[in-house]
Amino acid sequence: MLKEEILKEFQKIVGDENIDDGEVTTNTYAYNWCVEFVNYLANKDPIPFSSIPKAIILPSTTEEVQKIVQLCNKYDIQFKAQSTGLGPWNQPSTDNCVILDLRRMNKIVKIDVKNLYVVVEPYVSGAQIQVEVMKFGLNIHMPGAGPMASALASHTSMCGPGFTSPQTGHSARNVLGTEWVLPTGKILRLGSLGLKKESDWYSGDGPGPSLRGIMRGWVGTKSGLGVFTRVAMKLFPYPCNTKYIAKGHSPLYDFHLPDFIRAYLLDCRNFKHLEKSLLRIEEEEIAFICSHMSSFAVMAIFSYSLESLMDKIAIGSMKKPLVIVIAARTKREFDYKQKVMNLIMDELNLTNIIGSKYEPKSLFYAECLRANLGYHGFIATGGFQSAKGQCDTAALCLNTERKNIPLKQKYIEKGVIANDFGEGAWMTSYESGHYFHMEVPTLFDQTNAESVKGIAEYMEESNQMDLVKHLGTPFFIEGDELHDEWGPHLMNYHIWLRKIKETFDPNGISDPGFYISSKKGDV
Amino acid sequence: MEEEEYQKMIKRCVRCSVCKWIPQVQIKSQKYASGCPAIDIYNFHPYSGGGKIIIALAYEMGRIKPTEELRDIVYKCTACGNCAVACKYMNTLEPLEIIMKLREKLVNTGCGPMPQQQAYIEAVKKVNNPYNEPHEKRTDWIPDDVTLDPNAKILYFVGCTSSYRRKEMAIATARIMNEAGVSFNILQNDEFCCGSPILRIGDTTTFEEILNKNLDIIESRGIETVVFSCAGCYDTFKVDYPLSRKFDFEVKHTVELFDELIESEQLKLTDNVPIIVTYHDPCHLGRNAERYEDWDGDVVPLMPLVSINIPPKPKRTGSKGIYDAPRKILKKIPGLKLLEMERIQEYAYCCGAGAGVKSAFPEMALKTANMRIEEAEDSGADFLVSACPFCSTNLQDGINDKKSKLKYFDISEILLMALGLEPEKLKQATAEVL
Ligand SMILES: Cc1cc2nc3c(=O)[nH]c(=O)nc-3n(C[C@H](O)[C@H](O)[C@H](O)COP(=O)(O)OP(=O)(O)OC[C@H]3O[C@@H](n4cnc5c(N)ncnc54)[C@H](O)[C@@H]3O)c2cc1C
Ligand code: SF4
Ligand code: SF4
Repeated sequence: MLKEEILKEFQKIVGDENIDDGEVTTNTYAYNWCVEFVNYLANKDPIPFSSIPKAIILPSTTEEVQKIVQLCNKYDIQFKAQSTGLGPWNQPSTDNCVILDLRRMNKIVKIDVKNLYVVVEPYVSGAQIQVEVMKFGLNIHMPGAGPMASALASHTSMCGPGFTSPQTGHSARNVLGTEWVLPTGKILRLGSLGLKKESDWYSGDGPGPSLRGIMRGWVGTKSGLGVFTRVAMKLFPYPCNTKYIAKGHSPLYDFHLPDFIRAYLLDCRNFKHLEKSLLRIEEEEIAFICSHMSSFAVMAIFSYSLESLMDKIAIGSMKKPLVIVIAARTKREFDYKQKVMNLIMDELNLTNIIGSKYEPKSLFYAECLRANLGYHGFIATGGFQSAKGQCDTAALCLNTERKNIPLKQKYIEKGVIANDFGEGAWMTSYESGHYFHMEVPTLFDQTNAESVKGIAEYMEESNQMDLVKHLGTPFFIEGDELHDEWGPHLMNYHIWLRKIKETFDPNGISDPGFYISSKKGDV
Repeated sequence: MEEEEYQKMIKRCVRCSVCKWIPQVQIKSQKYASGCPAIDIYNFHPYSGGGKIIIALAYEMGRIKPTEELRDIVYKCTACGNCAVACKYMNTLEPLEIIMKLREKLVNTGCGPMPQQQAYIEAVKKVNNPYNEPHEKRTDWIPDDVTLDPNAKILYFVGCTSSYRRKEMAIATARIMNEAGVSFNILQNDEFCCGSPILRIGDTTTFEEILNKNLDIIESRGIETVVFSCAGCYDTFKVDYPLSRKFDFEVKHTVELFDELIESEQLKLTDNVPIIVTYHDPCHLGRNAERYEDWDGDVVPLMPLVSINIPPKPKRTGSKGIYDAPRKILKKIPGLKLLEMERIQEYAYCCGAGAGVKSAFPEMALKTANMRIEEAEDSGADFLVSACPFCSTNLQDGINDKKSKLKYFDISEILLMALGLEPEKLKQATAEVL
């Protein structure tokens, strides 16, 4: 709870009904997905509750955010910002923290069809933006977390690969003008938005200040460096016609397929064959989705319940599956893409299983277009988290995947994670094979203490393996301890990161739990 | 929900917030993407379905106490069930059932329900209706020209709201059945509250008493079919009663009966009703009116941490609600044009009145109604139609509050117009919009 006089000051900013420091509300915000194993790794009780925030505040404007941050500085209270709020990264790392739930900042500020960008506030979901820009034949990039997640959070603060990354890239690459409330309470406008004259949202890197690397780098600062209140993000052509009609009833909606869309499910013989196939297909720049995943994961993305997952044993025996979706706006474009796919399949001796051995439900295509495939990760055990998260060449990603199999199998044998034969992986290209992402989704049971302990230890060992065997940097290297461990191996980046934190947040007010603290004197 | 299942399930929310929205693949606009009135109005996460699952867990772990703060949050929820549909699109949790169980627990500790709700429980105990109206006035709605048949095998269970507050619905229902030559009876002074408002605020003990009393009476009369014009009574009889006590008679909502009567030409739609309507799916006739199916299978461990149900356990997804019958009726009415709102069927937005909200939190009920009215206006319709007296009251309150040009009718009233039984009403209605 907050001291009465401090509570009153916050109330003056947002109104009485938009701040709550009651026991029920603060405890509810202390809970999140995967917090139990994060607690275990921090030698705390492995329960799904983090430190309890002192209060939850719901600002509605940038000015309110700014005033809240200034007040936090005045009273030496940390803050954590959250948009749609999924995952442990939203949790306060100490008892001296308020949460800024940005739910009331929910406007689509501008859709610029000519310059291909959309400006949004934090609480606009991917699906909400998509349906509005679809009206202009356009699309946005959504992270694999799904269409319910905040697009702003993904673009400014947290990771960013998605199933449509071959076409729509990575969130970090799609950030344009940005409005940023710094941990001191000052407002910084990046890119063309920072121009003194004729400022606008069209560019993130200039004219005007470009601090994209500092602002989010690759994995995001996860609220460790202030609050992003508005961002412009790139728009892309919608891949096919925009008629999106799902009839029938939940969950098996009958999706009316748009004119020109087709899926391919290919089985590569081995890692070499897979690498070659990925590179070849992406070289031709024809794929809307180009994902490699384990056969278990392929079964999952075609399923809407655990029982129906088991019906798909026929595709469960694939060696190195590759899921490709091509889509086009004209018949000519579609014919071309199909022709290219046919030639590549001939060249690489690949057969499309879809249409011969397996036919997905029409809903699969609806979920491809709406970026809803990631959620299938919860089907088997109700809990999952990814290890790895490398962003690199196809060769390194696949090497990492291969090397991880025996490690994963060790934990499968212990019975603490679900059995995907150790092969569970998701890999996508970015920007037509310009570079690649690979992560290793791992299924666990959050209600089973042994499983919680198991996934935590496995994640830790997986990180160690990446470090020792030079397999690239996993995405969940966050917090002081891990940065201090990894920094010396990576050109002492942690020293520079600390310097940034110290400069931007001299009072250490922006919760550093999933970023880095300044630890004054260390620099 | 059994205690054991509850204890397991409250640990499984992944806090994805999917339950705040309608199913993701059904979102058509930014404006109408959300699905939960409670979170839309109060904004803090605990108000959402998933938030209430976390509350349930925190409560069981002793992290929070049964306080007014807790009660307030748990009861600011219309039990509309959108959260359950959205979650079960892919996940397997039952947020609505967890909310109900949590309310039951609060009642058992003396923390729940809200004082206004406790008052209507007392009213039901005393005069058999939550409006505290005299029991003997329950049948006052019956006009002289309605014919009842004491030997009929069909019973019209009128319900408290239609009996006392929305008499036009009861009258229309009776007249339509007379017109079709359906012989039916009512329970007269032996009709009591169905118990829905009591069940939905967690007083399961009083609810059990009520359901037994109602079933004893109906079964003693040799009734074969019970017809309801109230979605709440219908859902309670169809879905909730059998969980405590099975019965042999058939239950039907009037829209199902009327649809059959039109199909068999017992009802002839003769008159042109040249209006543009949109239809609001009541939660209790739609997604919540899906029966629990018996399942006697086995949970078979497949591998460590993964077990499957053999045969698959039926999942209530909202897909078996009554969606087609009212639409079929409306589409058959000569001259009438039906325009759909964005959120329909199992992902329809709630009217805002249910589960004790109208009595304890009238401002929440009204705000929700206003949001639904706006959606109805945006559909391009001039008339809003539904099939539940409770939705009727709240949506009409919304229309008045918002000073909307929309006119509200129950589907039975529209049907009366098409049957040529309400020429004056039809003239009035059409004159205002044409
Ligand atoms: C099934 C599943 C699949 C997933 N797949 C992917 C994937 O493919 N790619 C991917 O990138 N991620 C993936 N994730 C992880 C995902 O990125 C995060 O769970 C998601 O970004 C959380 O998003 P959110 O929109 O709810 O944002 P939040 O949870 O609100 O925010 C995420 C982080 O950003 C911070 N933050 C949020 N808003 C602001 C703001 N305005 N200012 C400053 N900081 C802020 C938060 O403190 C938090 O640390 C997946 C998660 C799930 C459950
Ligand atoms: S109840 Fe279901 S949909 Fe809602 S947050 Fe929890 S898991 Fe997600
Ligand atoms: S039942 Fe309705 S109002 Fe209550 S939490 Fe679920 S969606 Fe929200």
